[in-house]
Parts: sequence; C-alpha cells; structure tokens
Amino acid sequence: MSEKTLIIGVGNLYRGDDAAGLMVSRSIQGKLDADIIEHDGEVTSLMDVMRGRKSVIIIDAVCSGANVGEILEYDLNKISLPDIFAKSSTHSFGISEAVELIKVIDVLPEKLIFYGVEGKYFDEGQGVCNEVNDSVTVLAEKIIKDLEKINA
Amino acid sequence: MTDKKTRTIKVDYLARVEGEGSMHLKIKDDELVDVKLKIFEPPRFFEGLLRGRSYKEAPDITSRICGICPVAYQMSAVHAIEDAFGVKVDGSLRDLRRLIYCGEWISSHSLHIYMLHAPDFLGYESAIHMAKDHKDKVQSGLQLKKAGNSIMSLIGGREIHPINVKVGGFYKVPTKKELLSLKDELEQAKDIAVETVKWVRGFDFPDFEQDYEFVSLKGKNEYPFNQGRLVSNKGLDIDANEFDDNFIEEHVEHSTALHCIKKDGGSYFTGPMARYALNYDNLSDIAKAAAQESGIGKICNNPFKSIIVRAIEVLYACDESLRIIENYVEPEKPSIDIQVKAGTGYAITEAPRGLLYHRYSIDDNGDITDAKIVPPTSQNQKIIEDDLWKFVPKYMHLPDDKLQFHSEQAIRNYDPCISCSTHFLKMDVERL
Repeated sequence: MSEKTLIIGVGNLYRGDDAAGLMVSRSIQGKLDADIIEHDGEVTSLMDVMRGRKSVIIIDAVCSGANVGEILEYDLNKISLPDIFAKSSTHSFGISEAVELIKVIDVLPEKLIFYGVEGKYFDEGQGVCNEVNDSVTVLAEKIIKDLEKINA
Repeated sequence: MTDKKTRTIKVDYLARVEGEGSMHLKIKDDELVDVKLKIFEPPRFFEGLLRGRSYKEAPDITSRICGICPVAYQMSAVHAIEDAFGVKVDGSLRDLRRLIYCGEWISSHSLHIYMLHAPDFLGYESAIHMAKDHKDKVQSGLQLKKAGNSIMSLIGGREIHPINVKVGGFYKVPTKKELLSLKDELEQAKDIAVETVKWVRGFDFPDFEQDYEFVSLKGKNEYPFNQGRLVSNKGLDIDANEFDDNFIEEHVEHSTALHCIKKDGGSYFTGPMARYALNYDNLSDIAKAAAQESGIGKICNNPFKSIIVRAIEVLYACDESLRIIENYVEPEKPSIDIQVKAGTGYAITEAPRGLLYHRYSIDDNGDITDAKIVPPTSQNQKIIEDDLWKFVPKYMHLPDDKLQFHSEQAIRNYDPCISCSTHFLKMDVERL
C-alpha cells in the first residue's frame, strides 16, 4: 500500500471552468511529496488508481448552485457527495457515482477528500473565469500547506 | 398541467445518458402532440479550433471531443487526412488500428450494458443500486471494461485520450511480447462476454419493432471499424466522400442541436444494430453462435434488444483482439512516410455508438483550412424522436414517473453520447 498521498485532478481543458481540477493538479506539481495525476473521472480507471492507496484527494469542478469560485470540501469516508453532484458531471460516469460504486463493491482509501470548485461556464472553449482562476490558486496553496503539515 | 386534459413532461436531465440531455413530451386529450429531444450539440468549437492548425494536431485535438470514444475521433481524423494526402495505411499498422478500436468498443459497450442500460431492465434506479443486489455482475462488467481499457492503454499510450495515434500510423508500436501480455486478460474478458450475452438475452423486452433504415459501414470480409462502403438496408451504397451529397445536418427549432438526416428527409439508424444487420456474415464464429442462441435473428428491429447486440459486439471485439494479437508481426516502422499535399479528405469510421464522419481541407503547408465533424448522436437524434412518437402512446396511461422511466429507457437504447456536446443541464424535473 503506497504511503504517499495521491492527488487526482479531474476535468476537461476544453470545457471552460471544467478545467479547474486539472489546473490545481498542475499548479502543485513538483511542490510537494505526493503522487499527482490528471484524470477524466472514468470509473474503472479511477477505481484502479485509487486501489491500494491510503490517502487520496480528488479535485473537480462542480455545478451545485454555490457561489461561483466557492471551494467545497467533503470527507467521502464520512459523507456521500450530494445527489446534485451525481447528476452534474461532464464525465462518463460521475465522480459521485464512481465513489458510491466503490463503496458497494470495493474498499475506499482510509482518507478520501473531495474538493469541488464551483464553476460558471462549462461550454466548449478554453480558459476559466476569474473567480475559478482565483480559487485554483487558493486551493493549490491550501493543499500544499495541508500536506506539508501531515508530512511533517 | 395547463388544463385538465393536457400534461407536459419535461425532463431537463436524462439520467444515465452520458453527459446531458433533455426531453419534452406534451400530451393533450390522450394524444401525444409534441416530442422534443435535446441531446446533442455539434462540436463546432473543435471544428473552429482545428482551422489553421497543422494536420498533425487533428488526432489529439479531436480526441478531446469525447471522453468515451477518443479512439473513434482519432481514427476518423487520421483516415480523413490520409485520404486527403492519398496514402493508405496497411498491414500490421492497420491491424493495430482495428485492435485499439476493439478496445474502445469493449470499454464503451461494457459501460453502457452494465452501468447504464441493464439497470433499466432489472428495475433499478442506477448501477449503484443494482450493485447492491448484483455485485458479481457489476464486477464482471467492470472487469470487461478494464480489458478494453488495457488495449487502449497499451496501444494508445494511455487509457484516456490516447496520445500515440498519428497520421500514417503510430508514434510507437508495441512489441509482440507486449501485445501477448494482454492475452490472458482478453481470454477472461471473452468468457465474461459470452456470459454477458446469455445474461442480457434473458431480460424482458417491450414489444416494439420498427421498419428502420440501418446505415453502417460494410467491410470487405471483416466486421467494420475503419473502412468500407457506407450502405443501408434500403439501397444506399456510397463512399465517404459522398456523405455530404446524401446527408444533411438540419437545425431544429427547439434547441441549438442539429439533426443529421438523409437529404430526402428521412431519419436513419446508426450504431450496433445497424452494423449487426448489415455485417452479420462477417462476425466471428463465436459471436455468430452467441447471436443464434440469443434468438434475435440476423436482423434485429427492436431497439430495446440493442443491449444484446452490444453484448455480441463486445464478444466479437474480444475475439477479434485475440486474433489480431496472435497474428501480429511488428512493423518495420511505426508509421508510413507522409507527403503533404493540398486537398480534401473524407472518412467514416464506426464509433461504438455509430458513424463518425470527418472531412478536412488542407493547404500546401499541411494546415487545416476547413473541418467538418458529424458524430453518431447527431445522426441518431431524429430516429430517437421517431421512436418516442411511436413508443410513448403505448405508455401514456401510466403515471408521469413511469412514463418518464420508459421514455428514458427508449432513449438509452441508442447509447447517446452527449459528453461530446456541452456541459450540465438544469437538474430539475418539471411537470406542468
């Protein structure tokens, strides 16, 4: 079982604010002692990459009705993602469904944190809105600080 | 309700259709008076993005259109550009292209069969609910899907948005030993695929058969992936470069979506049911045997039984993968040499959910001056609406939630992929 935290940035660079998760994972690359990957949220592959991990952080853009740019944090071992997330992923079988499915047929990592960045525009196109861009910076700094504390 | 005898069912989010979608049914005086389906918006952004880019970028850019079928986009792109340059990829490189396409069919079809469509037939709200009672089945489905992912990962460089495909072949080709490493997993997948056909053929299917015009590629002595004439059971027989002469994308009033229809105005049916009906004789023996045991005949006109046809195609793709791996001879070079020349090229390949048409015009520098992409869901959208017009009246006596369930199931028959369209939809169910 790998001791390093796995950080998964989920999203699509060609769908406006949906790039948020990928942007966070790119901005923390090389700045902390963790395994960092990009992912499109595909369920079987997501299950594979999480299998055998003790600690996983998933970052994705969400469209939940919160204020644009708001960062939402969920400890998925304690609660499930709200239903609204299950029906709001651009990915083939949403993160929420993937996590719930793993709960039924497999074992979740001991620590599984989901960060959602509330987006505004998810149309085809490149670039995120200012609010999301600011939140990407804030969230990247938070993750670095949190992991530095844990690793210390 | 707007009056006592009118009811409108508007579903702004179609569950278990990948991506997003909306459906609008209006019933007045026990008569269906309106069907509006919005499940697809064309990839116009990507067509624009491609203009001015080098032909070399097209496979990777177009693979980003859809997270479910990136290989299909890459295959249509490379074949269309090779058509423009007048080159043909053959031998082991051609086989590798079939193999990576097998991987995508296995992966995509397995997701649809087990996670999206089977819950309909077994009365579950979702695959998660189904997994609580049928854990083994869901695990089998995931194992099957993973076998497809493994092929894409090995040949494409990674499972998601493969990066190893290029005009003329690949950047790097696998060794025989590397391909053989897939064999055990694929043998197990083939066994699961056999069981999958047996499982789904036992579902209860609504009695709903239509006289469809099936349109698909027809391969020469092979079940089609990348090549063949475009044919139908009603007389169509054309090359890819005649697609624009025979089909047209039509704007529909109720959305920004386009319906691709025949120029004579008719709808048509593309995807597994069409491929099966027009290429049954080219299935492998084991796939034919499974088809015969399933009792659907050589042509299946009940779209609800598309789940059986998908399962047969998964079995075929596992079998075909093993055949290709067994016969594989590593090519001398990972790609053939390309001479850039100005021109227009056309290609149609068989994405898991149906025909994917690409057309590119390229200048002397190899830059793309024009691009046109017509995905399968654009083509099936009209026939789905046609099905709803005929199917919904049979269930109009049911409460709205039951009617909605059956209507959604009818839409899911086509595995519409709308993750290649836009984003989310509003997630409310409105009944007036």
